[in-house]
Amino acid sequence: MRPAPGARSLRRVAAGLLLVVLLAASCGGDDDRVDVLAAASLTDVLPLVDPEPRYRFGGSGELAAQIREGAPADVYVSADPRIARELAREGLAARVVDFGANRLVIVVPADNPAPIRAVGDLARPGIRLVLAAEGAPVGRYARVALRRLGLGAALDNIASEERDTRGVMGKVALGEADAGIVYATDVEAGGAAVRSIEIPAAAQPRIRYSVTLLRDRPATRAFVARLLGPRGRAALGGAGFVAP
Amino acid sequence: MRRGFDLLLLAATTITVAFLILPLAGLFLRVPIGELIAQLGSPAALDALLVSLKTSVIAHVIILLVGTPAAYLLAMRRFRGRGALVALIELPLVLPPAVAGIGLLAAFGRRGLLGGELEAFGVSLPFTQAAVILAILFVASPFYVRQAISSFESVDREVLDAARTLGATPRRVFGRVALPMAWAGLSVGSALAFARGLGEFGATIMFAGSLPGVTETLPLAIYAELDTDFTTALALGALLVLVSGALLLLVRLLPAWTSSPSTSLFRFARSSSGSTSA
Repeated sequence: MRPAPGARSLRRVAAGLLLVVLLAASCGGDDDRVDVLAAASLTDVLPLVDPEPRYRFGGSGELAAQIREGAPADVYVSADPRIARELAREGLAARVVDFGANRLVIVVPADNPAPIRAVGDLARPGIRLVLAAEGAPVGRYARVALRRLGLGAALDNIASEERDTRGVMGKVALGEADAGIVYATDVEAGGAAVRSIEIPAAAQPRIRYSVTLLRDRPATRAFVARLLGPRGRAALGGAGFVAP
Repeated sequence: MRRGFDLLLLAATTITVAFLILPLAGLFLRVPIGELIAQLGSPAALDALLVSLKTSVIAHVIILLVGTPAAYLLAMRRFRGRGALVALIELPLVLPPAVAGIGLLAAFGRRGLLGGELEAFGVSLPFTQAAVILAILFVASPFYVRQAISSFESVDREVLDAARTLGATPRRVFGRVALPMAWAGLSVGSALAFARGLGEFGATIMFAGSLPGVTETLPLAIYAELDTDFTTALALGALLVLVSGALLLLVRLLPAWTSSPSTSLFRFARSSSGSTSA
């Protein structure tokens, strides 16, 4: 008996729906690739350490929030060991290992319109300063450094709070901000559009990177071993990170 | 067979509705409602609410004051390139917000097209509330103007001609006939534009940056609170759902509330004779 046209189209649509569901499920990523959530300041260097994993870069706090919400993630690399240890305390991460250090610098647009010549200029009225929000480690570190320098007044010059260090770099490289505070290792990403100005060593907060396993698999262990091993050290050293 | 098809329709509808409702329900069900309301009283939430209200209202007044006459002209006159012009006005409707943001920077940024001129006047737009308002204007005004054009177009030409024959000035025809007759459509466009402006995110964060109390609107605050205070982010989200829902309700109900064309004409005729006799 020939099926009626209605039934045939019904089956066709049902099959279509099933196909969509199957496709969506296969996008879920059951493959063997390692999902690494890492601080934005590591955007350029981690692919040099290991090009294989799927990377997602962002503010360390933002990434931690995603991990808490169940984002697919195998390894978490944070620019603030405290955030990584918090995840460990919550039972979401395993042992936390510190592996690299960084320092802060001021970046200004190449034509330095303000102009900013030394760190003290950041507190001058009318300067448009861009920092990361306090939820991002670099934003917290920058505020610590300014307070240590007795430049609390610079906080009144904040024109915008960005998500992470790369967001700050973007606003400065565009020339919209007079100055920003980022990690020393970010300056290269700004190319010819930015110049950097040192922040005195005495004012530098202790900036450490830490890595932690969220899922213990041979592939994730291999990634961490690589990051902590000679290849990782060479890549990090080449990008300006120093040993902790 | 018919029955099978009906079931299919029912299934599709159920899937659609469930999928669209779930995220909204999640906003309200994840934490107790009382806690959501309490979070709305936090300084971060209040700041964002004030910034959003101020920028949205100012932008909206500008949209209505400038957009209405512009739409009237585009609806009433026929000229070469009119179609292209209307299409251009509608383009921001379909433009990704990130494109709007980078476009605003390229036009009004410090190094943008008008950056030098603005700087000469001591004006710098990025990172200011004016930048937030510009971003809202850019993304929201097409919603109003587009709707206003079609509302004015649907006004009966013969009624307008009659008003003119009765001696009404063009300004009077616009204010006393065209505007009241297009009222329902204009209100719908107005509500849609306001809702779009209130939700503006991408262009704002790129062009105006984000600073609590200055440029951080409700959507930006949700994004900023996501990693520091999830409950506040939820509360702000729930608030926006309620406001948007209220606006949608307004859009649905307005056409029924507003007066019919015949009464507006009657109103015109009466007041016109009154003023001529004076």
